Amino acid sequence: MVRPGSVSTFTLRVAPLLAALCIPIAGAAAEDSKYPDLKGQWNRTFVPRWTVGQEKPPLTPEYQKVYEANLADMANGGPGNVPSWYCLPQGMPMMMNAYDPMEVIVAPETTYILISHVNDSYRRIYTDGRKWPDPETTLPVFSGYSIGKWIDEDGDGKYDVLEVETRFIRAPHTYDAQGIPFHGDNQAVIKERIYLDKADKDLLHDDITSIDHALTGPWTKNRTYKRNPNPQPVWLEEACAGDNAMVKIGNDPYFLSPDGRLMPTRKDQAPPDTRYFNRKK
Amino acid sequence: MKTYLATMFAGAALVAFTGMAVAHHSFAMFDQEHPQEVTGVVKEYKYTSPHSFIILEIKDKDGTAEAWNLEGGSPSALARDGWTSKSLKPGDEVQLTMEPLRSGAPGGAWNVNKIKFKDGKPIAAKTQ
Repeated sequence: MVRPGSVSTFTLRVAPLLAALCIPIAGAAAEDSKYPDLKGQWNRTFVPRWTVGQEKPPLTPEYQKVYEANLADMANGGPGNVPSWYCLPQGMPMMMNAYDPMEVIVAPETTYILISHVNDSYRRIYTDGRKWPDPETTLPVFSGYSIGKWIDEDGDGKYDVLEVETRFIRAPHTYDAQGIPFHGDNQAVIKERIYLDKADKDLLHDDITSIDHALTGPWTKNRTYKRNPNPQPVWLEEACAGDNAMVKIGNDPYFLSPDGRLMPTRKDQAPPDTRYFNRKK
Repeated sequence: MKTYLATMFAGAALVAFTGMAVAHHSFAMFDQEHPQEVTGVVKEYKYTSPHSFIILEIKDKDGTAEAWNLEGGSPSALARDGWTSKSLKPGDEVQLTMEPLRSGAPGGAWNVNKIKFKDGKPIAAKTQ
């Protein structure tokens, strides 16, 4: 049952669509639903980075240099190729850092993951048994194209794990705000296992494995999220473009002044190229 | 209630421990090695997503006032620390430690753990 008060503006947008398509929301089914209870507001329990402390990302030598260039750019005041710096969606898998709370809505044919940070972002994980679409005609998008499968691991007649594979992720995207890069070929594949902790049903796990040509091999991280015990959590809308002070023109970053003018972020940074202004006819 | 408070504490501790480093973008454009303690007058407080801003009028040593655009945490993070959209209003005098833009332009970052009213009173009880 969808708990009153746990319905966000996002849910309100999705629910009519589901109703129109006559798709029942699993949470609204009987209490003995075969799906796990994922309702509520989930808050991350971890520092939202893919590496912490002295840990090194398993990057190929080529992409280790890209990463080092990103770090150097950030140290000099730049965005380090982190797309959300200038309001692009974080995309997969960075969005699963859940910088703001996450909502999971389970329907039999699709599971929706809603996270409002930078912008209102969502994932559709198709669990309707579909095949992968034609790569030639499928447009890569920041959150990717996800196909999932519910698994009853212990044979008790209830699903325990949602296994997900995500392809067609649009570049640029990174793992976190440190700028750990993905390969630019849009061939990354993200595999996940999403499940409730066996001992704590208010703890949600997401084992995220990244497979990408910038890596020396698959890279797995476990993310955990704690359910907010408040039965009436607050959900905020986010629209980054409304108030963002960070602007990218060409490849150069700028920060807006209080009166909306461009300010440099780097020392000795040149103003933007204005060659197309005041052209003589 | 006990669990609720424990969750809130864990969230607050995470934010306090990691500060701005948990933001969705790097704060490296701000010079964290050379923070500046300043006092100024709030011109505008933007309780906006994904990051908040304080437009703070700061006088330099010659007495010339200039408006600075100071970026802070997200509203959800601020809310965990007891901040609301009414925590500051135009005309409030505050003292804070900011991390300025590396370029020297009048922009920077502020942190809920390093800001209070000019008279020393806390802005939100949870952060003092």
